[in-house]
Amino acid sequence: MLCDKCKKNEATVHIKEFHNGKCTNIHLCNECANSAESSQDIPGIGFNLAEVIFNVGKLTDKLAGKNKPAAKDQTVCQVCGWTPEKIRQHDGKLGCPACYQTFDKLIKEAVSQVQHGVLHLGKRPGHTRHDSPAVKRSEIDALKKELQLLIKGEEYEAAAICRDRINALKAELESIEGASDK
Amino acid sequence: MSSSSIDRLLKNPVSFLDDCEPDDDIAISSRIRLARNISKYPFPHAASPEILQKICETASSAAGEVSCFKNAKDRTFIPAELDETDREILVERRLASREFIKTPENRALFVCPDECCSLMINEEDQLRLQTIHPGFKLREAWKMIDRIDDELSQHLDYAFDEHFGFLTSCPTNVGTGMRASVMLHLPGLVLTEQIAPTVKGIGKLRLAVRGIFGEGSGNNGNLFQISNQSTLGESELKIIDELEAVIRQLIMQEKNARRSLLENNRYAILDHVGRSYGLLKHSYKLGFEEALQSLSGLRFGVDMGLFSNIDIHKVNELFIGISPAHLQKRMHAQISADEIDICRAALCREKLRQIG
Repeated sequence: MLCDKCKKNEATVHIKEFHNGKCTNIHLCNECANSAESSQDIPGIGFNLAEVIFNVGKLTDKLAGKNKPAAKDQTVCQVCGWTPEKIRQHDGKLGCPACYQTFDKLIKEAVSQVQHGVLHLGKRPGHTRHDSPAVKRSEIDALKKELQLLIKGEEYEAAAICRDRINALKAELESIEGASDK
Repeated sequence: MSSSSIDRLLKNPVSFLDDCEPDDDIAISSRIRLARNISKYPFPHAASPEILQKICETASSAAGEVSCFKNAKDRTFIPAELDETDREILVERRLASREFIKTPENRALFVCPDECCSLMINEEDQLRLQTIHPGFKLREAWKMIDRIDDELSQHLDYAFDEHFGFLTSCPTNVGTGMRASVMLHLPGLVLTEQIAPTVKGIGKLRLAVRGIFGEGSGNNGNLFQISNQSTLGESELKIIDELEAVIRQLIMQEKNARRSLLENNRYAILDHVGRSYGLLKHSYKLGFEEALQSLSGLRFGVDMGLFSNIDIHKVNELFIGISPAHLQKRMHAQISADEIDICRAALCREKLRQIG
């Protein structure tokens, strides 16, 4: 496959980008990928994770040489008044906790690129009981019900996340029970 | 009031360097920090001075209810009331971040009596809680911070979402809001030139490697901080498990490097340690980086059993004592950079006379 930018060399770097539910692929040769990285056309690879966030959408266009800017997202957080543009100006920092709801889709896309997973599996405020087997079992049961609903609603992407969370919790449960058996 | 509190602070031994065990020659300290926010307020960088003040009051009053920060008037620091040197002292003792003292207004810092836990209010997040333990003790650090966090949450309505977990100002911290790190002394890997590939390898494991003074700082004194990058998608204990596994591996690599140096290049070690010792004992002007490098060499010599009469605690104390603000405070005066280098050399000569 030829490089999308120079159209001469064999592409060795493949970037898959999800933006507003749309998936775009870009294929670059080593040389173009290096020059794009050093000229910060690929922001944040291995450097500032925050820069990766909220630069989605602009990336593939820029690399492919299309200068047409992506349509401006007009969403405004009703609590703090921040917009995606303002978030971008602040290196990916949000205005307030409610921004997570307002820009839910955008944040989930960005977070999936920089974090290990997209669902919180840690403690909850004031509770460290997440280590107890009983709490883990009840959480697994609740998630199983949620999984059924998601499959029924044909929300397969969310169902896959839910399934992974169940598996992770099962693994944690096994390790706790395994440790207490010793 | 805060300034006299700084003087009291200086009389404390630095807890994370003080109490090390014999096996802690490679892993120097373990630190965990949690980022938390109160649901009804904006994140600090988006808040007006009035709101920042309110956040400060609310979080301070909650901190006052927590056992380790109770009755902590003399351990509460208001950066805006401190001069530049005193603020630097807090950074050098790893109680506050550089970012925190850069804009001192509407911020507060709580410190527990032995300095092993501290709480910054209105840093990048409204609350940044940290615990720091000597040696390789991430689990102890986690247990302590988990308990303090639970206590705080009884008095504060944390910003929390079922999907995203604890909501933080930057989504790179969302979820657990936890950054766990271990400071490692790796002269063996540096001397055998294995450090660059090792650091590269760690980067691929979603872990970050930084110098002693955090983000952007280079290799000072062969000290490296290894920490988790990802905060979402795994429980706190799983993150700690994974970090511990990598640290154990690094400790083993460092031990192997030290063994190989001793077997194959004994004179290189002796020369490195001897020059370090000589520089500390006989210099009359010492720059900060040069002193750190020499202290690393001296510590390496002590770890390798090349000195029978040097107390490792005294060497560790010097790592902090030679920092610019600590030297300024020691001299009780504002002194120039040149004078700081002279004082640093004098301090090293004096300490080495006492300990060796």
